[in-house]
Amino acid sequence: MIAPPLRVAVIGIGNVLLGDDGFGPLVVETFRCRFACEPSIEIHDLGTPGLDLAPYLYGKDLVVLVDAVQAEGTPGTLSYYCEGDFVSRSARLRVSGHDPGLWEALAHLRLAGQSPSELIILGVIPESCSFGAGVGAVLLDRSSIAADNIANLLVQRGVLCHRRQIAIQQNLWWLPPSGAASVTAS
Amino acid sequence: MARISIDPVTRIEGHLRIDVEVDGGTVNKAWASCTMWRGLETVLKGRDAREGWVFAQRFCGVCTTVHAIASVRAVEDALSLEIPANAQYIRNLILIGHALHDHIVHFYHLSALDWVDIMEIPKADPAKAASTAEGCSSWTGNSRVELQAVQDKVKGIVASGQLGIFSHGYWGHPAMRLSPELNLILFSHYLQALDFQRKSCQVVAILGGKTPHIQNLAVGGVMNAINLDSLATFNMDRLGTLKAILEDLIPFVQQVFLADACLLAAEYPEWLHYGRGVTNYVAVPDLPLDAKATKFDLPGGVIMDGQLSSVRPIVNWKDEAFRKAVTEDSTRAWYQHGGPLQPYKGMTDPDYTGFKEDAKYTWVKAPRYDGHPMQVGPLANVLVGYASGHPLTRKWTDTAFTRIAAVNGLKVTPNDMQSTMGRYLARSIRSAMLADLALAHLQLLTTNILDGDHTTYNLPQFPKGEMMGMGMHEAPRGALSHWVVIDSGAFTNYQAVVPSTWNASPRDEKGVPGPYETSLIGNPVVEAEKPLEVLRTVHSFDPCMACSCHTLDSSGAEIAQVKVL
Repeated sequence: MIAPPLRVAVIGIGNVLLGDDGFGPLVVETFRCRFACEPSIEIHDLGTPGLDLAPYLYGKDLVVLVDAVQAEGTPGTLSYYCEGDFVSRSARLRVSGHDPGLWEALAHLRLAGQSPSELIILGVIPESCSFGAGVGAVLLDRSSIAADNIANLLVQRGVLCHRRQIAIQQNLWWLPPSGAASVTAS
Repeated sequence: MARISIDPVTRIEGHLRIDVEVDGGTVNKAWASCTMWRGLETVLKGRDAREGWVFAQRFCGVCTTVHAIASVRAVEDALSLEIPANAQYIRNLILIGHALHDHIVHFYHLSALDWVDIMEIPKADPAKAASTAEGCSSWTGNSRVELQAVQDKVKGIVASGQLGIFSHGYWGHPAMRLSPELNLILFSHYLQALDFQRKSCQVVAILGGKTPHIQNLAVGGVMNAINLDSLATFNMDRLGTLKAILEDLIPFVQQVFLADACLLAAEYPEWLHYGRGVTNYVAVPDLPLDAKATKFDLPGGVIMDGQLSSVRPIVNWKDEAFRKAVTEDSTRAWYQHGGPLQPYKGMTDPDYTGFKEDAKYTWVKAPRYDGHPMQVGPLANVLVGYASGHPLTRKWTDTAFTRIAAVNGLKVTPNDMQSTMGRYLARSIRSAMLADLALAHLQLLTTNILDGDHTTYNLPQFPKGEMMGMGMHEAPRGALSHWVVIDSGAFTNYQAVVPSTWNASPRDEKGVPGPYETSLIGNPVVEAEKPLEVLRTVHSFDPCMACSCHTLDSSGAEIAQVKVL
């Protein structure tokens, strides 16, 4: 018997107009363009959805979420968290504008019996989240590694995912024309 | 006298601070402050007018599509560019899908817990709850088994002591008055709503190509290719899928959401008297029925001083009176300019000076209509429709009144709707209307396609020289307008007058407060440390403070504070 395909979502979170906060959307776009996955794999740039994250996590086997995180360390540091890393903290209601509504969305889905079986958060420490700028050089450099790491994660879990022989042109519409050129050249 | 500061207000989209002065258990002064700067207008200056909508939909992380729509309509208005009928219907269906999603999430996930006490649920009798629920609606998801399962989940959470996201509710507050059974019924719908808000997102995704940021828009129409013979394009198959999703979603909206709002109104009748606030209303016409946008399925209009008989209709988007009446004042907001400016001449130069209640105290400007503050949102939408004798508005408003009376005999009038509870009711009435209209517009689209019209786009031409345009949309939170100045195809000015700006407006140059602020006057506050009643009224507006910045905080620091000063 053939197992049904895994329900997987790769989600980038962040505001593309706020410098390094746009890391999540940049990484998922990089991943989409460099790797080909089986059609059941959803790839989303969700911006800053708040509680509206819930529909995209609903009933998934695996969710990989890429986001900027506030943590001690050098800008550009990539860290991986699983849901358990946050268990003690998820008891708290997070309510700031710096909150993607993740914990609340997860708690809702858990009650409805539809929370993702596995959640991996790929976090990066931002350098600067200033208004109107694109992702800075340090994080831009990390975005390729992050995209490769997502592919590795998926492959480890049995998802069909391979590097495209010719990458698709990235659509980074939010960058000024010169910035877009430097990104695609990397 | 006590001074209470809630910063930020929880269970809203974005960032809002509310300060109230309470004397003898009643609010007598209030200030609403948005603590984040949007400033996206500055990003749009100099951009190609054909691309403005892509940026505009990042105004807010939640209400993305509404800004995209208002943006293309503003540019089309400047160009006097007509769009094909198919494009109108496809846009309308996206707007309806988005609005239903927004209203469901607001009622259940952002505000129900102001009225529903989770801690009472373990005491409920599921069999009694099931029979009560059956008496309220014909919905099939109210079985004893279903309710028992929800109760068991809640019992488990309560017993574990790990309340998680529910640990901050004002449980046991004297203003929470539902029976254990009603608490159980409403919370069970709260969980079921997760599935239905997802279905309304699917409507947007099928038509818009992607959610939350749709990709199918264009100045001049939509980019959905229609070809009934091609699997890759918009075809009968897609139309059938949409119909199936809507037929699944509509009973939840009309039999559950509306019934629950009516139940709350019947159980909390005093909230039909609190929270009246600013009684000037404006709603703009939406859901155009033809290419030229001469007829609309949602009527627009202006009501002053709560006098429904005085409604002045806004018959179409060209309405000169609306264009002349709207100004924004930043006397009390953190911008350099002070007094009222017409949006085409609007300025957005920040000047942050800290929270000073007698001077500047918010990032929100004060929009005014002929110099008056206005309330916008589903209540304005429903009151304008009711006052204009709009049949669909009357049908669902009267249905709601009948349902409320059936619960406990409470008689509600359109005038009672001008209240905190009225805003909740209006949102559910509007949703019931939109559910009917979703099928109607899907039928219009299908018929038009079958009649052989497959056009979805008219090419825009940008002449040299300056031109101005304004795009309207009656968004889930109310009247939205984007005002653009274009020179040779690029924006030279861009101002968005958004619903939450109308409602969260600060005082203006004359010191007249905005709708949130006014609606809080006279609200009871029984316990200063637990200002539940303040949240009920603030949440009734469905605040969305255009959240434009966020990072995931891995430190777990607690940020919300209620300070009693």
